[in-house]
Amino acid sequence: MPLLTESKHFIRPDGPDKVTGSGRYVADISLTGMLTAKFLYAGVSHARITRLDISAARQVPGVFAVLTQEDVPERRFGSVADRTLFAKDVVRFEGEVIAAVAAVDAEAAQQGLDAVVFEYEPLPAVTDLEAAIADGAQLVHEGWADYEAADVERDGNIASFTSMIRGDVEAGMAEADHVVSSRYVSDASQPAPIEPRGVLAQWEGDRVTIWSSTQVPFQARDGVCETLDLPTNRVRVIVPHMGGGFGGKCGFHYEAHVAALARAARRPVRLVFSRQEEFIAPDRRREGMIIEITTGLRNDGTLTARRARVLLDNGAYSSDASFFPHMAAMQTLGPYKIDNIHVEASSIYTNRQPSGSVRAPTAPQACWALESHTDELAAAIGMDPVAFRQQNCVDTGETGVAGQVYDEIGLQDCIREAVSAIDYSQELDENEAIGVAVGWWPSFPGPSGAFVKIDSDGKGVITTGAQECGTGSVMTLPILAAVELGMEPEDFELVYQDTSAAPYDEGATGSQTILNNGRATVEAAQQIAVQLKSLAAEKLEASPDDIVLADGKAHVAGSPELAVSIADLAGVAAEGEMLLGKGSGTPPEYPSAVGVDCIGDRGLSGWVGPQFSCHAVKIRLDRETGVVRVLDVSAAHDSGVIINPIGASGQVEGGVLMGIGQALTERTVYSEDGAQENPAFLDYKLQTIADAPPIRVHFVEIFTPGVGPHGSKPIAEAPNVATAAAISNAITKLVGRPVAQLPMTAERVWGLMQGRGGG
Amino acid sequence: MSFMIAGSLEEALTALAAGARPVAGGTDLVVGARQGKAPLPTSLVAIDRLAELTQIEPTDGGIRIGASVTHARLLTDPTIVSDYTALADAAALVGSPSTRNVGTLGGNVMNASPAMDTGAPLMVLGAVAEVQSERGSRTVDLSDLWTGPGQTSAKVDELCVAIDLPSRPARSGSAYVRLEYRRAMEIAVVGAAASVTLADDGTISDGSVALSAVAPTIIEVDGVAELMAGHLPDAVGAAIAAAVAEAAEPISDLRASDSYRRHTVGVMAARAVDAAARRAAGEEISVPVNRAIGVGASR
Repeated sequence: MPLLTESKHFIRPDGPDKVTGSGRYVADISLTGMLTAKFLYAGVSHARITRLDISAARQVPGVFAVLTQEDVPERRFGSVADRTLFAKDVVRFEGEVIAAVAAVDAEAAQQGLDAVVFEYEPLPAVTDLEAAIADGAQLVHEGWADYEAADVERDGNIASFTSMIRGDVEAGMAEADHVVSSRYVSDASQPAPIEPRGVLAQWEGDRVTIWSSTQVPFQARDGVCETLDLPTNRVRVIVPHMGGGFGGKCGFHYEAHVAALARAARRPVRLVFSRQEEFIAPDRRREGMIIEITTGLRNDGTLTARRARVLLDNGAYSSDASFFPHMAAMQTLGPYKIDNIHVEASSIYTNRQPSGSVRAPTAPQACWALESHTDELAAAIGMDPVAFRQQNCVDTGETGVAGQVYDEIGLQDCIREAVSAIDYSQELDENEAIGVAVGWWPSFPGPSGAFVKIDSDGKGVITTGAQECGTGSVMTLPILAAVELGMEPEDFELVYQDTSAAPYDEGATGSQTILNNGRATVEAAQQIAVQLKSLAAEKLEASPDDIVLADGKAHVAGSPELAVSIADLAGVAAEGEMLLGKGSGTPPEYPSAVGVDCIGDRGLSGWVGPQFSCHAVKIRLDRETGVVRVLDVSAAHDSGVIINPIGASGQVEGGVLMGIGQALTERTVYSEDGAQENPAFLDYKLQTIADAPPIRVHFVEIFTPGVGPHGSKPIAEAPNVATAAAISNAITKLVGRPVAQLPMTAERVWGLMQGRGGG
Repeated sequence: MSFMIAGSLEEALTALAAGARPVAGGTDLVVGARQGKAPLPTSLVAIDRLAELTQIEPTDGGIRIGASVTHARLLTDPTIVSDYTALADAAALVGSPSTRNVGTLGGNVMNASPAMDTGAPLMVLGAVAEVQSERGSRTVDLSDLWTGPGQTSAKVDELCVAIDLPSRPARSGSAYVRLEYRRAMEIAVVGAAASVTLADDGTISDGSVALSAVAPTIIEVDGVAELMAGHLPDAVGAAIAAAVAEAAEPISDLRASDSYRRHTVGVMAARAVDAAARRAAGEEISVPVNRAIGVGASR
């Protein structure tokens, strides 16, 4: 399938702004009379509030407003409505907001915070997942059964639960020649965007404008409306340039706090997080997990049954995490052919930072466990792990774990390409090894809208609710409009950050822009194409059906010399019926999953446009220290037809590097009472560019109908699934057993070599 | 809050006598204040424009490195790289390119972090610090200068103006090897510097080893010269590692446990001795040695 744009590389429109510093982020914007906001955090993981007195704080010179939950409507929010804007009666994690202050400057705001009287009676902190679900465990939310929540199975500290059962797992185990059991434990990690978030709010009359570094402006707006009792037409959310998100800026966070402060202070108010706040406060971290998998297999490699139990650390509140158990269950089963399954997954309340969507939520950890386990299965029958996957991974027309039959998919091609690109059979030094893992990730259909207009000089504007956190909507959407209209991507400006200007979109979440906003943009552009063809037909005395839009012109099919420029047509239209298109389209429907019984079903058993990947990683182990270096990576992806090769490759490279960090160095360390011990980049170790190995990216391009435009599928999260798993399998080849703890730090690898730990 | 840019060393010393604290690159002072380690001093004197502190110059008995010489300069200066290679190894590992371009040797020494990278090399190279105040000038052995984490024996009005290093014996070499989990913006988990001098027959005639991040200060390991003397370099690794593990008093923290530090600092020391001996024998091992033979090095 030829690429749409013939690999045309164009400069992303926001690139020069970001590189030269002319781009404006929230922290760069100041308004006349603007105040500084600061939050008072609980600083304790679990406690009952016995006294909260802000009267002295309100008297501090320079302080304009001090707010607590008393000052805002009593509204709970979240996927389980378990949270209020400010702590009410009980604090459940250290980063919970107790009070907010707006003052003339940071110093006065701090003095205001210092004057707040906050007294509490400590409660036992729930931090151990197994203990949290034992009988008589301290509850994180007492009486929470009364909270509103749609479709969530919950009990005690179990915030949400999913089980998936298909076939007869007992019979399947009985048929097995080998039964292999593994237990893997993953630490929590962080999205760590380079820009700590900012929110700026200004009221004019009864209308508030909020500038926020959010990936999801409509969700942010709706959160403000819900918690402050406002209609949508009084709240406008605008997103300036954003310095990354990785899921951390999905969801509704602090827009309402700042809006409420600005209303109380009668001044614009700006909040900008410190790095430490960015670590501790947001309800978005990658959850810790315990994953237990038992698989039966025959000597010929056939998988006969799988049983699994997954415990996820939900943290203190549910944010968007109530679908995680279902997603983790699917990730623990993987893109394999197994007829007998029984998986149970629970997300468990603890007194830690809430978990929430971070790039491919649940996948890197669960895939790491599953794929480490898969290499153990191959080893049990003495089979090469690549051949084992080639035998057991799903292919076109085959049935997956949940009973879904796949249309044309490229997983087997991904395995072949990744293995070939890294030269799997090369001769290796005794301290080097190559590990391989496969991954999968769904696409998320949803509603979305876009407006397209062409102005009098033939230049266009796309106005959408899509968001740009680095995932490339500024490139992809102009390409899609340009293809429909025979124009160039550079002919389009993208207006993508204003809830009052653009139709609804879910935002930069779930890799959904190309699928949903792509569909909307194409439809909007197609309406303009009809208008242009009609205008051209009149001018060229031909039928509109015979008009072709190409190279900035409209011409008669077969007669390129009979042409009129789109700019000329736009000039004509500007004097009469203008060139305006609007699009939304119908999202694709979820396919059915046959024969799977699912309690706590979040609709994730049958996947639209499943994306597949295979990562192969060559590492070198320093045997005396346990330090692992990644020397070479090949990543092959089936994300359908690639619309924007340079953007898609960037997504894979970034996802792999993030995966290396998760594999080797990134983890949040908690004290026994639930406090973060390394909320700073000094000891939360991201990979740096100096650590980046060569990353060979290959796309298995299969035209995939019924997902994104032109046979495309999403790409942003899929590259962040299989890397840690591949690294694990390489380490196991060198040390004999899986490390079984994520990240696989140097000390853990060394400990395994000393005979301690490991799976 | 007062801030003054010193136009001369005298001005700087006067300001220090009046209670100001010095700032050059600010990589410890400013970052520490942001992390809440210590508030910014209310009175600061900037010493980064004092040309007399930025020289690397030969002396009668060796070389004098001005306190404001940056890490970036140390890792490329021909004399440092050829004769005092361990110091270049260490400077090359500090922070990122931007840290190395503003961070100074004097700042590193006076910050007195037990995890500092340049400290162990300076110790095995026999460095002394020149400190000056309005009251006069004196030299201090590094082992007397560093008294604890972030603590020195210098008085508050004393400014480190230079580091003096003696000239190197013939057939000598040095190296600094650090345990690192990543290749930039890293802080030493443990580190070891070694200096080795070879006799004509290829055996070791003299040597020393100093360690980072395994004690409240950088420490020199006693008895190393005796341990190595008369042996071929490739025969001393295990004994060095054992002696070093014995000398280390590591703590457990977020970066590593005490037992892992005790083990790995021995590994680092053995590698540093190996690299120093190879350099002493004339082998070219590029700076930093970590990339060539160090932790997780690729072939």
